[in-house]
Amino acid sequence: MQRIPGGFAFLPWPVILLFAAPVAALLVSFFIVRPARPRWTHVPILASCAVIAACAIWILSLVLFQNWGLDLPLGGWMVAGDWLVSYGVRVDGLSASVLAMVSIVGGLIHVYASGYMAEDPGFARFFLAFHLFFLAMIGLLLSNSYIQLYLFWELVGFASYLLIGFWWQKKTARRAALQAILTNRLGDFGLFLAALILLAVFHNTRFALIFPAIVNGHYALVSLVGFLLFWAATAKSAQFPLYFWLPDAMEGPTPVSALMHAATMVTAGVFLLARSWPLISTVPVLPDLIAVVGAFTAIAAGIVACAKKDLKRILAYSTVSHLGIMVFGLGLGEVAPAVYHLITHGFFKAVLFLCAGNIAHGLHQPTADLDQVGGLRKKMPFTFVCFTVAALSLGGIWPFAGYFSKDAILDAALHRGPWAIVAGVLIGVTSALYIFRMLFLTFFGPSPRQKGGEHIHEAEPVMAVPVGFITLGTLLGGLLGHSFSTVIKSGWPVAQPIAALPEFSWSTFAVGMSAAAVGAGIAWVIAFVNPSFDWEWRTKYPALESALNSDFGWKPFVRLATAGVVALANAAGFFDHAVVDGAVEGAPRVAGAAGEQGRRLATGRINDYVWWMLAGAAVLLLAVMR
Amino acid sequence: MLSAIWAIPAAGGLLVLAAAGRWPAKRLALAVAVCVFALSLALPWAAGPEGLSSLAQAGPLWAYGIRYSVGLDGLSLVLVWLTAFLTVVSLLSAWKQELSAGFWASFLFLEAACLGVFLVRDLFFFYIFWEAVLVPMFFIIGLWGSENRRHAAMKFFLFTFFGSVFLLLGILALVTMHHSATGLWTWDMAVLRGPSSGRAAVVVFLALVVGFGVKIPLFPLHTWLPDAHTEAPAAGSIMLAGVLLKLGVYGLLRVALPAFPEVSWSLLPWLGLIAAINMIYGALCSMAQGDLKRLVAYSSVAHLGFCVMGILSRTPEGLAGGSLQLLNHGLSTGALFLLVGCLYERGHKRGLSDFGGLFAKAPWFTFFFGVAVFASIGLPGLNGFVGEFMSLAGMARVLPILAIAGVVGVTLAAGYALPAYQAVFWADPGPGSVSAKVTELDWREKSLMWTLTLLMLWIGLFPGTLLSLLDSSLRGLLL
Repeated sequence: MQRIPGGFAFLPWPVILLFAAPVAALLVSFFIVRPARPRWTHVPILASCAVIAACAIWILSLVLFQNWGLDLPLGGWMVAGDWLVSYGVRVDGLSASVLAMVSIVGGLIHVYASGYMAEDPGFARFFLAFHLFFLAMIGLLLSNSYIQLYLFWELVGFASYLLIGFWWQKKTARRAALQAILTNRLGDFGLFLAALILLAVFHNTRFALIFPAIVNGHYALVSLVGFLLFWAATAKSAQFPLYFWLPDAMEGPTPVSALMHAATMVTAGVFLLARSWPLISTVPVLPDLIAVVGAFTAIAAGIVACAKKDLKRILAYSTVSHLGIMVFGLGLGEVAPAVYHLITHGFFKAVLFLCAGNIAHGLHQPTADLDQVGGLRKKMPFTFVCFTVAALSLGGIWPFAGYFSKDAILDAALHRGPWAIVAGVLIGVTSALYIFRMLFLTFFGPSPRQKGGEHIHEAEPVMAVPVGFITLGTLLGGLLGHSFSTVIKSGWPVAQPIAALPEFSWSTFAVGMSAAAVGAGIAWVIAFVNPSFDWEWRTKYPALESALNSDFGWKPFVRLATAGVVALANAAGFFDHAVVDGAVEGAPRVAGAAGEQGRRLATGRINDYVWWMLAGAAVLLLAVMR
Repeated sequence: MLSAIWAIPAAGGLLVLAAAGRWPAKRLALAVAVCVFALSLALPWAAGPEGLSSLAQAGPLWAYGIRYSVGLDGLSLVLVWLTAFLTVVSLLSAWKQELSAGFWASFLFLEAACLGVFLVRDLFFFYIFWEAVLVPMFFIIGLWGSENRRHAAMKFFLFTFFGSVFLLLGILALVTMHHSATGLWTWDMAVLRGPSSGRAAVVVFLALVVGFGVKIPLFPLHTWLPDAHTEAPAAGSIMLAGVLLKLGVYGLLRVALPAFPEVSWSLLPWLGLIAAINMIYGALCSMAQGDLKRLVAYSSVAHLGFCVMGILSRTPEGLAGGSLQLLNHGLSTGALFLLVGCLYERGHKRGLSDFGGLFAKAPWFTFFFGVAVFASIGLPGLNGFVGEFMSLAGMARVLPILAIAGVVGVTLAAGYALPAYQAVFWADPGPGSVSAKVTELDWREKSLMWTLTLLMLWIGLFPGTLLSLLDSSLRGLLL
């Protein structure tokens, strides 16, 4: 076996702990704590979360203050002679910054979940799957090659399957889990094939080795790889055409939605694109395609979000929309703003989900509807404050975190040309519209059509405190832009550096703020000036409602395509039974039908068949050989 | 030493039959199988520092160059391990059933024949062992199978014998061709070479491919498999999927490809196409099945497509990955058949709609079935991924379009495995469901599954040892 430079001896302890802590916690919880004390399963796991968060912050500060980085192979995984796929670790600005967000938000959601899931009979199973998911996400961020990335990418999908289908007794949850993993699998096709092609061309898939080669040389298949990677990202990061699994995945418990569909899993696709940016930027047309798909997804999902009534569904479509914003930013060539938005979005969207979870928990339901709430600001003041801060951030209002990241993407759009400007403004309007509609209808009022959440109570401390901490991040995240610019440039795998966040510009500020103001104004009218509008338009314009409910017809199309695959499978099954096997089963009958002679031959004795076959085959072979 | 590996189970089988009624047959059979497994594990130590090839032995020369000889390399060793291990697993899987001595003896005879195929290096004896495999399997299906067992056993026998006929004629033609070219009578696999081109070479090579292809099974020679699996008892299915299908690929690796390197290379696109059809068509057919055993049987058709694709690529990674996939498929599909057998033993049903909601009452059952399902659909971290990925990586360097077909196969795999998993373990039990009869796995079944699970994890994360074992021997054989 080939000796590889590097190895565990060179690995600093914070990086080792990032893997060792969750693995140890999972093993201890599964084998020791769960059988003995199922209700304590979360204890080792929460300890592991604390270790992970500390290590991630430590690593981030090393990157920030010392420009530290790491790219180490750690021994062979799949080996055949000189063909080698090895494990490895890569720490650079991109992975360290996203990792810090994931570990802080993720750790706090773990704490929240220990309260939210306390009454659930599947408490132990939940925490094991939840932490496995967390481990997979950490591994994904720290991978140094496409094949290892694929390993964790799939593990993320696997863990999400377990979590979305956590309440497996519910038919909708089962369907959502199946849909999520099959859709992701469809996207994984792209990553699997991309890894195969890169491996065939470069004999390696390490980022640090292939990106400089791609930038400096010309390789025919790299364009294909770029498109395949984007295809993979559309599934994980819920972009058109593969976004549809995400809203349905809200069937999982709320902490799952908050962790997977705000801070971690869905950002994996954007992370993959940012990671692959040196490759993607060399492919002609692809960045423009990415920008268009991102903008289209952002606007369409934003419009659909305005019509939803289920709190978690509004947030789900909002997530699709914001992932679209990130993808849009990436397509415009702005890696730093896109990743920055990924991070700020992780904070404010987690707050929104957890607040929605607190409301549903307060109502003793798995999920809540706009009909059932209204006027909650008096009954749940703390949740109200957190939600408002996060909503302002999502709406892109200065000086909340979301403003800074969204503004940077808007700035790029304003410099791109008319279509990008229109897209940027529309995104700003729809975002503000759906989130302020949600804010007003949930916490103000109640309007005459709402029940107002009669017996609802404020969340207990274990579920309120984590939300408070993440809200702090939403408040302060915007101040870290300058540091983020330093971090993201650290360890970029190719010589050309990426641009920092753009400088403040009054014109961008004005455009962004006015778009948000327009959206918020419309929401104001809907909620206060004409409070029954939100209920009446559905009966007045049923065609519009059904169009919005079916995601402008895409959902029926997906169902049709699925039915097509099932029909193809059934056709194959029938063909195999009737034709392929039919020929085999029919052979003795044909012999029987061949008259007297044939009937005497078809004796049903194995010996006779055997001799006839031998003779026949011999004649056949000799005839062909001559 | 090597001959003892196959002779011990053969003698053990006779002993079990002879001692029927006096000694408990199943305990005796298990003791023999465990001995063989322990012995097979000791083989690398027995070989010592000179390497595995030092264990080779040869008998006296007979007429026409026939000579009994056995040999060992990494490929044979891995498959010997698999056979010996799965024999123990399948005997234990049937442990609770009251069966006659013949049943237990059949498994030992089957093990002996399979081990013989993997160990002998003389084509004459290879063919004898090859045919000997059919007999115990015929009885296992025909005597201890379910309702439709006679038909399935007959179909299995005739179909595989149909392949054997081509194999026999192919072997005879190969030996004659070699004699007329060199003037030397030999049946030694390491020496025999066919002509590098010409119609006769192609025909003989294809005869060998048909012979081996029935066992693999290659499309369109696969339809005996679903019937045989459905009717065979669970222990028989484990051996059938876990070991018997491997014989075909082993034959390709050991006989057909080394004897016709040029011909097989020129036919690569066509053979690769068949492997691709295996993957995609097998997966689609699997999706259409309502019977768990048929579903797993068709998934085997798809999985063996990966093995064939890997070895056809003739790259180090393809060969090592394709042959590792043989082991992987043996473990994951063996585990699936073991668990389906447990379901059948409890509920006497196999349909997807006959169960539902088992998670609530049998969490370990659900857990292990999930492990086996995800291993078989290639979740990285478990064993299936390593074999699939390396096979396709090999093909991607030779004929990328076929590798793309393979990735489609990988994608489709989730489409048949997960709905079935959900239907049995998550879905609400429908009318006529036998879920109420299904009880949790007992400690015997759980320890079998733990062993399989740990092996799957080990191969998935650290396949290096096995891969280097396979790589070094395949390198000598085909590169």
